[in-house]
Amino acid sequence: MPEISDSDSSKLPDNASKVPPQPQSQPDFDPKLMRETKPGLKRLFLTLTVLFSFLLGFPFLWKSVEIYRSPLPFREIDSLLTQLRSDTLLFPLHFHALFIGFDSDPDRIRLSILSEITKVTSQNPKCSNNYTLSVTVDFGPRCLRFPISSPHSISYQCGSITATDFVQNDDVAVDEKLESVFSGKTKEYSVVVVKGESEKAVVGKYRHAWMVVGGGWEMEIAAVKVAEVLVKVFVNGGREEGSIRNEFMPVGADGKIVLSFNLLNADPRDWVYDWDFRKIDDGLLATMIDALGPVANISVESQVLYHTPKASFSYWNQKLESHVFSNKDLPFFVNSNEWHLDTSIAAGGRSKILQFVVYVPSAKECPLLLQLPNGEISKTNGFISPMWGGVIVWNPQGCLKDSENKPTAGHRIPMQDLENMFEVFIGQFRQIFGFKSVNVYAGASGVWNLLPSERGFTVWEVDVLSRQHTCFNLHSCATTLGSLSRLVQSLPRMIIMDEIGKQVKLSLEAAKLAQSNASSGVYESSAASSRKARSLAEDSFFHPSIMSVSYYSFEHCFAVYSPFFLPVSMHIGLAALRELRRYKKEKAKYLAWKAKSNTAS
Amino acid sequence: MKKAKKQEEEFNEELLLKPLPDRKVLAHFHFRSSASLSTSNGGHHHLFPKAISQLVQKFRVKEMELSFTQGRWNYESWGGFDPIPSSNAKPPGVELWAVFDVPQHQIDASWQNLTHTLSGLFCASINFLESTTTYSAPEWSFPPASGNLRYGTLPREAVCTENLTPWLKLLPCRDKAGIAVLLDRPSIYRGFYHSQRLHLTSTGSGSEGMVSGIILEQTLTVVLQPNSQRAGMAYASERHIQPSWSLTSIFGKQVSGTCVLAKSSNVYLLLDRGLVAELEHLHKENEKSAENGFTSQNFWTKPSFELSADPDRIFIEENSLHSKGSSVLYKFQVEKYSESEPFDLSLTWKIPVVWLSQQAPLHASRFLMGSGNERGAIAISLKSTQLSEGFMGANADDERCDLQVNVFQVVPWYVKVYFHSLQVFVNQQPKAISDIIEKIHVSPSKDKVSPGVMEMVLKLPCKVNSAALTIEFDKGFLHIDEYPPDANQGFDIPSAIISFPNFHASMIFLKDDSVNKSPLLSKFQEKSPVMSYTEALLVPLTTPDFSMPYNVITITCTVFALYFGSLLNVLRRRVAEEERFLKEKAAKKTGRLSLLLSKLSAKLRGRQWEPPSSPPASSSFINAKLVFKVILVAGLAVGWQYFFS
Repeated sequence: MPEISDSDSSKLPDNASKVPPQPQSQPDFDPKLMRETKPGLKRLFLTLTVLFSFLLGFPFLWKSVEIYRSPLPFREIDSLLTQLRSDTLLFPLHFHALFIGFDSDPDRIRLSILSEITKVTSQNPKCSNNYTLSVTVDFGPRCLRFPISSPHSISYQCGSITATDFVQNDDVAVDEKLESVFSGKTKEYSVVVVKGESEKAVVGKYRHAWMVVGGGWEMEIAAVKVAEVLVKVFVNGGREEGSIRNEFMPVGADGKIVLSFNLLNADPRDWVYDWDFRKIDDGLLATMIDALGPVANISVESQVLYHTPKASFSYWNQKLESHVFSNKDLPFFVNSNEWHLDTSIAAGGRSKILQFVVYVPSAKECPLLLQLPNGEISKTNGFISPMWGGVIVWNPQGCLKDSENKPTAGHRIPMQDLENMFEVFIGQFRQIFGFKSVNVYAGASGVWNLLPSERGFTVWEVDVLSRQHTCFNLHSCATTLGSLSRLVQSLPRMIIMDEIGKQVKLSLEAAKLAQSNASSGVYESSAASSRKARSLAEDSFFHPSIMSVSYYSFEHCFAVYSPFFLPVSMHIGLAALRELRRYKKEKAKYLAWKAKSNTAS
Repeated sequence: MKKAKKQEEEFNEELLLKPLPDRKVLAHFHFRSSASLSTSNGGHHHLFPKAISQLVQKFRVKEMELSFTQGRWNYESWGGFDPIPSSNAKPPGVELWAVFDVPQHQIDASWQNLTHTLSGLFCASINFLESTTTYSAPEWSFPPASGNLRYGTLPREAVCTENLTPWLKLLPCRDKAGIAVLLDRPSIYRGFYHSQRLHLTSTGSGSEGMVSGIILEQTLTVVLQPNSQRAGMAYASERHIQPSWSLTSIFGKQVSGTCVLAKSSNVYLLLDRGLVAELEHLHKENEKSAENGFTSQNFWTKPSFELSADPDRIFIEENSLHSKGSSVLYKFQVEKYSESEPFDLSLTWKIPVVWLSQQAPLHASRFLMGSGNERGAIAISLKSTQLSEGFMGANADDERCDLQVNVFQVVPWYVKVYFHSLQVFVNQQPKAISDIIEKIHVSPSKDKVSPGVMEMVLKLPCKVNSAALTIEFDKGFLHIDEYPPDANQGFDIPSAIISFPNFHASMIFLKDDSVNKSPLLSKFQEKSPVMSYTEALLVPLTTPDFSMPYNVITITCTVFALYFGSLLNVLRRRVAEEERFLKEKAAKKTGRLSLLLSKLSAKLRGRQWEPPSSPPASSSFINAKLVFKVILVAGLAVGWQYFFS
């Protein structure tokens, strides 16, 4: 109180001088409503300048708290996705049908086969095939071809195959002969139809099939059969349509498979069995790995484990004089507590590890047999678990426990048994890939014998796999990239490293390359580049930096900056508002005075 | 053919039991697997663990040792001179060292990959050894010295069953059969000391085509306290009687047979030199017959103690160096026992025995000096143990007798050691550094890059009673990100290693075929220098208040805002107008007091009192404004809450 009065008294004279001349001269001049001078703009200008510079600072602040995001080619990812979704990937296939001893027009045969093919073909929603067919009718010295200019039919030398080649009963020799005739530079699937005495239909282990038909065969029936073998066997690999297994490939994201073979001695106190794995590895497995080269890079390792009982119990069957393990308990056979099969250090990364287990039962559960759902005893005494591997139970000869002998003396699984076992393993491996191991294909139009390959997989099966692999890889690459782009777009405050951007770009490039290679029919390189595309896509999706979503969240930003910006912006905003209001009021006053003075004068 | 194949991969299991002077029992499990190159190269294994051979091949590990330890080896009462403490007493936590067979520039990468692999394999945070601040490359003081060596420790790693289970997985029989059955988790982890070790050596590399293989040694050393109730009852008066124990009483289990895959499966009972000398002494006193020496036939029948099983063999140490006495080793073959007749060795003491274990020449301990959060000093003190005086005196005849001591110490970068401040005291007298330190190698720490390493060779006079090394340090500041979650606990400085290269911890037994066959005994015969680890130190560093950055931000922002606001106010203030306004307001004061005052003054002046123009209206207006403001703030708060929740 005293202060105010003090200041009042001290500033009074000063104040009085500044106050506009008291309206003694003009009695109706009200200082609350009018003023004589123009209101000053100085303070308004000042506060507005501050306000604008404050507002101008915001974009800089925004820029400074921005996080680094490498630009991802979202549009290209989307186009890859839509492209793979809408127009299916087309693999070009060349079929060649050769008729020996027939007397008909190749064009007519071709048309009838083509119509049969379209009947049989079921459209795979993901990948389909773009096939061309050429038909040759061989009359010995000369032949009729259609289409005449096709490079596939021209590569065949007329008369190089005669009906007498098929008289012999040795299918393997016929297959070799066909391979030597047809092995051109181009990959084509050929079917030879020969008139002969006995009826026979064989699919070889390369890319050829032949059919010996009796004299009375109609061309149409032959066409049906040819179409079926081309579509069902060569294109689809003799597998059932639409089985789920076809979708999955047990191949790691880096295109590697590790086959881990384990010999489990359930109880080494009863007996200890060892195996000569090296021989098997060098013999049986090496050729199969070689054959599957285009699809996956396979490595093999083995170990022997002890004290590994199975997880569930078997019961004694008096009639069979053996312990029987029923089918419904099969999920509980693998004992993940005691079977420390382990992942492989050598493999690393995202390789797929398939475990193959030979289970040697202990004396009290020997012989152990696996029962099929229909009550019969399994012939292979083994089972597979998709995407995991397979198990075979091997019962020692006679199940005789040599209690007197030291079990450490070590038995060896006889080589014959071991070979049988590994044949079953190869069968299981084929089954994991979706192939059957019966050497007969029973189609709608008849039965075809399939020649098994000593390499485990025939050439046409590997072709099927590599087509499927390419298709699967490309789709999985596209979906991975698609989810990455969705993730990135949904989290605007996520840091994206340059490396991810680079990987995405490389993955897209590889996918493009794979597509173009696939459409030009180069399976090996398209499989390789599709594998690369998939592994790069997975790399970018599982990049460690993406896992840790940025801690620099909006809340954090708010907490750090609000103590400054909230009070300051309040000050500035209020000041600007007040000044503006005051200026308006004063201006109104001035205008009122002006109007008044105008009317007065 | 069959036999040759069998010899390629071998597995041996052994257990050594040893009574300790302080009424405890040492159990030392020793498992050895070996594989020759031809089997290990192809990735096909019969006995040898697949994981280890893949690890050796992938990272080209020449030699590696990994140990998980809980508790501290009590060098004073459990001894420090035998092969067991000098190669199996390990610092607490995890210790890992590895020698690689790769070019120099690849070693660090190999080490980092190896740490990650091991951390996955053993369920431990060994991957923390990946960062360059945690490992070092000793030049020559660490015993398997070599340029390709990397050494790292994690003193604070907790060790428990999750580390033991993967370790057991590497054994062909795991803990299902054989000696490993004894590894009952509760009794092992109840012990005073527990150290689980994995040591592997690969000889020769595949590319050179030499005869080579991998030897994997897994040892588990535990010090347990036997339940001495029974003994206490029988000899209530005797305080000094050693507790009697059996395998069942210390492990709660017994061995019911061998692991069928083991080539040999033996249990040994070791009576150390001091104990044997004491027993002999007692025996002589009692018998008075003064038979010279003892033979393997008569010794164990002596009435001082009783064993439940007859040993299959007795080994007596060849006593060439030490006059004190020779240790005696009883061998029991587990093969002779079966499930119906399990092996349960028990030892019953009949007379009280007191003895001391053989010590390393100097007892090393390390401690911190100084106080406060700024600086301090590390001191390593070496004290002569009386026991070793005897054999030191043997070659102390000539004046220039020296005792060589190697010191290896790693110091983390945030403990900034001043190497110039190194001081040496011998028998409490300061000595010139050049007199004592024969060789020194120092690699100073780099902030946030590498730890400081100090390697020294000391030459102390043989008659030394005590020696001390001190070195001063400053405590560094860490970045806020670098503090561990429990920063207030302090930071560990890994144990220093003190080794005595002139003393070899070995026990030489009479040359015999069976000694060479046993991996444990042949390990004992190896001449390895006596080594001991000092304590790990705990250095408290200044721990910041971790909310500090936010506090600082808030305070500075508030100050800035105040400054900004007041400056703005000053700029746009109209002093003249405000005063006019104030005056008007003062004139219109509507308070009750001012009303009364004005009335009073009016009366005094004798004039008609005029009421102020609009007091009721203004007061209601103010109230409305206030209410509006309160509602606005509340509305804002509610809106805020709603928006963010």
